[in-house]
Amino acid sequence: MDFSIPDEYAEMVSTFRAFLDREVRPVEEAFLRELQEDELTPQMKEAGLGLRRRSAELGFYAAHMPEEVGGWGLSNLGYTLLVEAGASTGLRFATFVLGPPNPESPNPILMDLPLEVRDRHVPPLVRGETTMCFALTEPEAGSDAQAIRTTAVRDGDAWVLNGRKHFITNGANADVAVIFAANDREKRANGGITAFLVERGTPGLTVGKQQRTLAGDTNQAELVLEDCRVPPEHVIGEVGFGFQSAMKFLNSGRAYIGAMCVGIADHLIRISVEQARNREAFGRPIGKYQAIQWMLADSAVEVHAARLMTYHLAWLVDRGDYPIRESSMVKLNNTEMVGRVADRAVQVFGGMGLLTEGPVERIFRWVRMLRIVEGTSEVQRLIIARSLGL
Amino acid sequence: MNIVVCVKRVPDTAAEKKLDPEDFTLDRESVESIMNPVDEYGVEEALRLKDEHGGEVTILTMGPEPAEKQAVRKALALGADRGVLVTDDAIHGSDALATAYVLALALADLEPDLVILGSESTDARTSLVPQALAQLLAMPGLTNVKKIEVADGKVTVHREEEGGHAVVEASLPAVVSVVKGINEPRYATLKGIMSAKQKPVDVLSGDDIGLDPAEVGLAGSRTEVVEAVPRPPKEQGTIVQDEGDGAAKLADFLQQNKFV
Repeated sequence: MDFSIPDEYAEMVSTFRAFLDREVRPVEEAFLRELQEDELTPQMKEAGLGLRRRSAELGFYAAHMPEEVGGWGLSNLGYTLLVEAGASTGLRFATFVLGPPNPESPNPILMDLPLEVRDRHVPPLVRGETTMCFALTEPEAGSDAQAIRTTAVRDGDAWVLNGRKHFITNGANADVAVIFAANDREKRANGGITAFLVERGTPGLTVGKQQRTLAGDTNQAELVLEDCRVPPEHVIGEVGFGFQSAMKFLNSGRAYIGAMCVGIADHLIRISVEQARNREAFGRPIGKYQAIQWMLADSAVEVHAARLMTYHLAWLVDRGDYPIRESSMVKLNNTEMVGRVADRAVQVFGGMGLLTEGPVERIFRWVRMLRIVEGTSEVQRLIIARSLGL
Repeated sequence: MNIVVCVKRVPDTAAEKKLDPEDFTLDRESVESIMNPVDEYGVEEALRLKDEHGGEVTILTMGPEPAEKQAVRKALALGADRGVLVTDDAIHGSDALATAYVLALALADLEPDLVILGSESTDARTSLVPQALAQLLAMPGLTNVKKIEVADGKVTVHREEEGGHAVVEASLPAVVSVVKGINEPRYATLKGIMSAKQKPVDVLSGDDIGLDPAEVGLAGSRTEVVEAVPRPPKEQGTIVQDEGDGAAKLADFLQQNKFV
């Protein structure tokens, strides 16, 4: 058994860190005031997208994509390390420069498109010039994703889609949408759900309401499909087997969300320790008090365990396994873990922890989201329980 | 063109460093190491010249295996062609001149057209090695360079000077030390990192290069560190109470301390 990070990955991560320091940090520092106000102005978005294109040029942004579309074909462990490294800097703009787990970045399931369609749409996504969205969730089908009601009916030379998607991250801005629809509701996952690539501006596809979340973003959109005609070459993979593609996406997404939680927790522990060393109460740094020490010791243990679980999951994926149970375990454990670590960080920072201009309040709020998105904690427990034979 | 870049592994600039209490050499175990940041500009400059003129870029370093190999591998990942590592217990503790002696012996066999170094290392900061190396190799030595051009067997450089730069020309082969900012160092790509593993790194001992042990190491060095004292902790600064006269007090303070 060997727990060491392969040399080439260590080198890659150190190169990525150098990029974050040299190019991303200066942009972050230029927008400190806006970041404190929790704003994302058009200028910030422009700067972020510029960093993304730069990261794509260097190869990091879509490193997880295969080489034939411009990626590095980086392994799950490799990308896990990048995601962790990015999150552990605490830089907000770091979220722009990596693809996964952001659903607007190119997704490997697009490799199942016919060659000609793939080569038209995927390379611009890999270069960070365009974005996508992943439209599975519906008002009546969240955790029970197989219950989707959006329909796909074959009519002559096209598939006709009708229905409504919601909570679609980047739905309003995506250049292409991956939309899941039922071609046969009876069959559900087993031959009944198909994935389509739908271009922005396709007649019959409109953006409905855009909603704000507790994280302060307005990136959640409703997509409305009314007799939206999609050519058959835009079917991703096989007709009727789109749900399997969706699960593949969600599985890999869970690994990267797990890695992000480890990185964020690492950042929180670092700034909490600094605070505990510098902040004095009753004549001593608060880090000299056991109450604070124990909180941070617990956080350190939990992040260590989460990191090992995450690397192990990445190792399983790279070995060619399809680790549904371990994916769920990592998603469940790590999102809950980072919630606890953030909660303790707020406590260590005291009053400063409550201020919106402080360093932890926004993170505390933001990580709460992670226990809901891409499969709630309860759905993960359900999957784990099934694996126990229940 | 055959270019050799000399690189050094140094403790991470941001890290807390420790010295061996016995001989005041750096305790390398205690700290993360990186390639000397200025050397990255040297590697980039060599790769840029290779792109322009063709040829080969060799990375030369000295120190203990296998850690030193990492500095070489990093340069190979950026695009250099091969590496040479001189490693021998005898060279531990060598000062700047002794270091130049070892490098000069290794360089003699490499027959370079151009030798590039960073202008200084972030750990020792003597800036002596490039000039000493030029002397030992009997080559022109051009230091603190912020622009290099090579044509017709000659190298023309911009040498950084107080208030401007001097344009200096020399025949090849020559030794050039470059300053930070001469270029924008590239990042390693994953492909570069992977292919670096296949590139050759020759490991040479003192015997291989004909080293005289009396000239190197702590004993062979002409300088000796007789004492090392940790930097004293920062003292509490002066706090100026503003009672309507804060600006005047600040101005007085600056004047007293000869800032203005």
